[in-house]
Amino acid sequence: MPIIDSHLHVFEKLSAEFPREVNEQCPADRAETAEKLLEVMATNGVDQAVLTQIGGTQLVHHRYLQHCLKTYPNRFRGIGLIPRDKWDAPEDHMDRLAENGDIIGFRINEIGGPADPLSQMDVRTFTSYRIWKHAAKKNYVMWLYIRAKDAHQVAFMVQAFPEIRAVFNHLMICPGEGMFSWDDEGRPHINTPIPPLTRYSMLGLHEYPNICVHLSGQYAFSQEAWPYCDLEGWHKTLLSKFGADKLMWATDFPWILEDPGYDKLVQVIDELLPDLNAQQKAEIMEGTAKRVLGFPDVAD
Amino acid sequence: MRRPTDAERQEWEANGVLFLQNAIEGEDLSRLQATFDRCTAEARREWLEGIAKGTRPAAHFDIPKPLEKDDVFIDLIDYPGWYGFLMDFADEDLILLAPQVRTLPVSPISYVGWHPDVPHTTPLHMKVQIYIEDVPTDGGAFGYVPGSHKPNAGLCPVVRPLDSMPGHKVYPGKAGDAVLFNSYGWHTAMVNRTLKPRKSIILIYEKWSKDRILTDQFATIADKCTTPDRRRLFSLDER
Ligand SMILES: [Fe+2]
Repeated sequence: MPIIDSHLHVFEKLSAEFPREVNEQCPADRAETAEKLLEVMATNGVDQAVLTQIGGTQLVHHRYLQHCLKTYPNRFRGIGLIPRDKWDAPEDHMDRLAENGDIIGFRINEIGGPADPLSQMDVRTFTSYRIWKHAAKKNYVMWLYIRAKDAHQVAFMVQAFPEIRAVFNHLMICPGEGMFSWDDEGRPHINTPIPPLTRYSMLGLHEYPNICVHLSGQYAFSQEAWPYCDLEGWHKTLLSKFGADKLMWATDFPWILEDPGYDKLVQVIDELLPDLNAQQKAEIMEGTAKRVLGFPDVAD
Repeated sequence: MRRPTDAERQEWEANGVLFLQNAIEGEDLSRLQATFDRCTAEARREWLEGIAKGTRPAAHFDIPKPLEKDDVFIDLIDYPGWYGFLMDFADEDLILLAPQVRTLPVSPISYVGWHPDVPHTTPLHMKVQIYIEDVPTDGGAFGYVPGSHKPNAGLCPVVRPLDSMPGHKVYPGKAGDAVLFNSYGWHTAMVNRTLKPRKSIILIYEKWSKDRILTDQFATIADKCTTPDRRRLFSLDER
């Protein structure tokens, strides 16, 4: 069975060739390279992956991502970031990153409309509006990991641009303010009720044909060790609402390499959705990502 | 107190839903509307803080502990406009589970989708939704699939879009109208495509069964529930 890991991160040590931002999670001398990833993927029968930019939003910060995409053209697709001060006019930045066709979309974490759901909602006033508008024009994918306080605004943007392929990262969970921390292994942990209360603003999006959801990031939301059984019900809810042809499996490499291990993540769908038939399983592990994100056949 | 006619009882049995026109009106309605708005305004800041933290839903806004906020909400629980129907359908043995004093923001999607609230293994479970202001068909009105409350209805399907549910009926209404429904049946809030949030109150009841709710759940309002009928309705005594 072919497999696509539809959301993860790679980065190189800080250098003049590959400049990036440095933080506790990604210190200057840490590297989680494409070669290391490809080795782990090969060991686990995973063929292709979506590399999501990490280490900064500026064009130069994307150099390592672009290097990987160029070096392994049939294995990867990329997702870029947009500097916050360019959201008013993001078009040039987006196009420059996407010009080779291998960066297919952009990740944002805010929609930027009124925090009060009882306000009048005019998407043209939302801070991310120009990004969405340009994504619609150029057929870019929107990669969404948005804040709880923006959850109620998403449907308005999707209604305005229903043709955009939008992929909600990490179980469609929207982290709340002050609910973020680092776990003992230096990984993000999000304190959230499960099922999330933002579900009332999000699950109805299954009505739109181009909305997908990542089954990933379990380690960050679960109160338990692998296989994260406290998230089983939420996985089933996402399956029943969106269907397997809108769900994509991902690992969020490298944060899961030590705990629970990449091999365990490859099995996590079997653990949390044990009743899938073969076709549904194939959709989640590969088919949805291949179709929606336009992956080539590996042999090409 | 109004009691169901034979025709209404038949309709309830067949459809699982009854529309009660002008269930509350006049002075009572005006007082309820004013209290709704005042209590909603008072609770709004806390709601917005909860939304940002992810601890409150943005898709609907319920006033916390409404029965403690104003007696007007307590008086709704056994209000003559619907209480006689509930008592009749519950064989005169009714308990309150919870009230929801709810504002529904405008949104291109429904916050719930079609669903039953409870399986047939629970005792008869009923809700009354009272419209506080006029609710047009496209203003987040209540939708129900008549007959879906029956045990042989099968599983509630996932449909896209919401209004493609086979056999469903939408219940728009005027301020003071109410919809009484059997919560085994499939229901939803239709999409609110207007510019105005929907205001309604949903009262949740069940036919009494042992240990369904704790006797202290409504203890904070016990002094407002002195009659034997009310003490039973609010589960204030052991049985
Ligand atoms: Fe319900």
